[in-house]
Amino acid sequence: MVSYEKHSLPNGLRILVHRDDTTPMAAVNILYNVGARDEDPERTGFAHLFEHLMFEGSKNIPDYDRRLQHAGGENNAFTTNDITNYYLSLPAQNLEVAFWLESDRMLGLAFSEEKLATQKNVVVEEFRQSFLNQPYGDAGLLLRPLAYEIHPYRWPTIGKDISHIQEATLEEVRQFFHAHYHPGNAILSVSGNVIPEEVFRLAGKWFGELPGRKTPQRKLPAEPLQRKQKRLVVQREVPQHQLIMSFHTCSRLHPDFHATDLLSDVLANGDSSRLIRKLVNHKKYFSEANAYVTGSLDPGQLVISARLHKGVDPVHAEEILWKELALLAGEPLGERELEKVKNKVETTHTFSESNHLAKAMNLAYYELMGEAGLLNLQMEKYARVSPERLQKVAAGIFTEKNASVLHYEKANGIKGKEIIQE
Amino acid sequence: MTDRSTPPAIRLTDSIPFIRPQSHLLDNGLTVCFLEGGSEDIMKIELVFLSGSYHQNDPLVAFATTKLLGAGTVKMSQEQISEMLDYHGASLQLNPQKDIVSVGIHLLGKHLRPLLGLLQEILLQPLFPAEELQTFLKNQQQIHIINQKKVQHLAMTIFNELIYGEAHPYGYRVKTEDFEGMERESLLQFHRNWFRPANAFCIVSGHLPANTGKLLESCLGSGSWGASEVASPPVYPLISPGSRKVFLEVPGSLQSAIRIGKQLFNRTHPAYHRLKIANAMLGGYFGSRLMQNIRQDKGFTYGIGSNLVSLLRNGYFFISTQVGTGVRQAATNEIYKELHGLRTRPASHSELDTLRNYLSANFLRSFDGPFAQSERLKERLVFGLDFAHDEAYIKELLSVTPEQLMEVAGNYLHEDGMMEVVVGK
Repeated sequence: MVSYEKHSLPNGLRILVHRDDTTPMAAVNILYNVGARDEDPERTGFAHLFEHLMFEGSKNIPDYDRRLQHAGGENNAFTTNDITNYYLSLPAQNLEVAFWLESDRMLGLAFSEEKLATQKNVVVEEFRQSFLNQPYGDAGLLLRPLAYEIHPYRWPTIGKDISHIQEATLEEVRQFFHAHYHPGNAILSVSGNVIPEEVFRLAGKWFGELPGRKTPQRKLPAEPLQRKQKRLVVQREVPQHQLIMSFHTCSRLHPDFHATDLLSDVLANGDSSRLIRKLVNHKKYFSEANAYVTGSLDPGQLVISARLHKGVDPVHAEEILWKELALLAGEPLGERELEKVKNKVETTHTFSESNHLAKAMNLAYYELMGEAGLLNLQMEKYARVSPERLQKVAAGIFTEKNASVLHYEKANGIKGKEIIQE
Repeated sequence: MTDRSTPPAIRLTDSIPFIRPQSHLLDNGLTVCFLEGGSEDIMKIELVFLSGSYHQNDPLVAFATTKLLGAGTVKMSQEQISEMLDYHGASLQLNPQKDIVSVGIHLLGKHLRPLLGLLQEILLQPLFPAEELQTFLKNQQQIHIINQKKVQHLAMTIFNELIYGEAHPYGYRVKTEDFEGMERESLLQFHRNWFRPANAFCIVSGHLPANTGKLLESCLGSGSWGASEVASPPVYPLISPGSRKVFLEVPGSLQSAIRIGKQLFNRTHPAYHRLKIANAMLGGYFGSRLMQNIRQDKGFTYGIGSNLVSLLRNGYFFISTQVGTGVRQAATNEIYKELHGLRTRPASHSELDTLRNYLSANFLRSFDGPFAQSERLKERLVFGLDFAHDEAYIKELLSVTPEQLMEVAGNYLHEDGMMEVVVGK
């Protein structure tokens, strides 16, 4: 249970505070309600590039990182398809420095051509390092456009292509800031050794005078119901054949989300999960298997991946996976197996409640989803998932026409060739 | 309007929330330390055995022995063990290293009793069944083959071999064929020799149920867990590798991995604390000279850093990055410039001030809560150090001068004595 207090400023900024006096630190999290889904299809990767620019100096403070480090702080940020999230932790007595820094960069950035050019290079290297220069690294680049046709989830946060990053202009940076970086589009949360009244006072002092701006209404195209299975086979210089199956699911806010999440756990969370136990350890078809849900705010995906041992026929491997999925759709889970996956969720959740940074992040994220207090209802929602519900959700997800299937074939000296398979 | 030109005042932390560990020696020779704290019903039990790959007779034996503790015991199959762990929401961390092996479990306090029983079972009675061993090796071999396609991984293994030599366990480069032909007898023997209470310590941290001590004693203090003598470890002479440059071409690479560094010493060396501060200034945090120059100013890389690694019998220093192939030479030159600068260009008042504040807060962070403190305690116990050693670091941090930092860099991180590995194009 994470207790919290909430306050809003007239300019629209929402503030959440959780007091935890077991730590000498304080964590500050600022979530901006903008992600890769809000990008222009010709400028993908922009939200993430912008995240880099947020560290390149603001109106009154040229050196964000150095000032924070001077106060003993550490920080980072990440961009998803839905949000851009900035977080830091510092000794609690220096909390006001975080307010000074964060409010100044919400007030305005010190844009320059040079800084934009440098950060474009940094992001291009990030693109190469994480996606292009390692085996299977481009899975995200291939899978998203296969699974989504019109929704902006069809590109990854790093962007569709390096050229989109290279072509970004300073004027576009200015417009993006104006549209998305203002109090009404942000949620501030603080957790740690702090006094809520003091946090609200600091918020008023540093953020209160920032002008409110109108938050643009999102008008994203809904992804139409998939009526036919999509398949893609690529040839790469990879050591093993890899199979990825991705299925459309509900959104994070849908009542079926918790059952969907548990399905991915039944499949591949822990050594006793079905894919690991049966197909990796017992039958030895795969050297590794994985399953996860994207948990996105618009309808997401449940992704299953497996790396095939030499000699295993990919067609057969896919059939085997389909059989496992049919089992989930065909019969209810036993009591103990369901209890097991719920117990795993409980441990993860309880451990996150001992971490002041995780608590700050969670409060802001659940507030974005409607109300910070939703965080404290999660355990109950998982607990209430019944075997019948799980089966019903599985039956809805694991159908042939709901799937996007990607095969990485070991290339025989051919590089980068892609084959679309009907 | 709020005055935004003046930063709010800051204050350094003057006290560390140190939890004094409660230590007990069990009858069979196992040392147990309790670190109590935290408000949630969560805890961690970690056993550290003072033997790792350094102690093995054949490649990968320490690794396989540790990773397969849960692959089957006298009473339980692999399936039963993993089901029991998962059912109680616990996760096992099996972490074989060069000098030590660590077996940890994170759990909710309410499941302590069954999980301790399970821990006892897998630590004392593992069977390392042949079939599970073969499956494991085959799967790990695939991961190894994939890693051989990563420039960063290649640079790391080549570098270790260069500074320690292939005959030394610290430098040995695992080969694809090492995953073949291993017998379970080697694992049983490694387990028999080194997984002994007298060769181990245990740290129990978190919110501890009232009966923790008693339960632990009954499960892990048992006399049947051999109290016999532990053999003395093998001795491998260290080589003096000098300085060399190695370039491995990987056609088709989009980035080159660069690793520059040298053999050094570990945290028990008298110059260690000062060198650690100099290293942080060079490449130990985002504000470091390498990061500011090579990422923030030049845009050559997504990240660059430098590290001091402490092994039990030695230690080493390295700088590591991945850069676009077109700027490989330029980036390498800048790295050497910064190494040169570390011994010739004094830290400004502001640079040193920021470094000091940042590192002292980081030190505080490393004592934040019982789990963080258990990491510190583990480090002290492995290296035979006490809390005074940690306090000495803070004293050094608060008093060190720019001249002293240049001097220590000149003594140990001179740009002429480096080993250089580049993998890519």
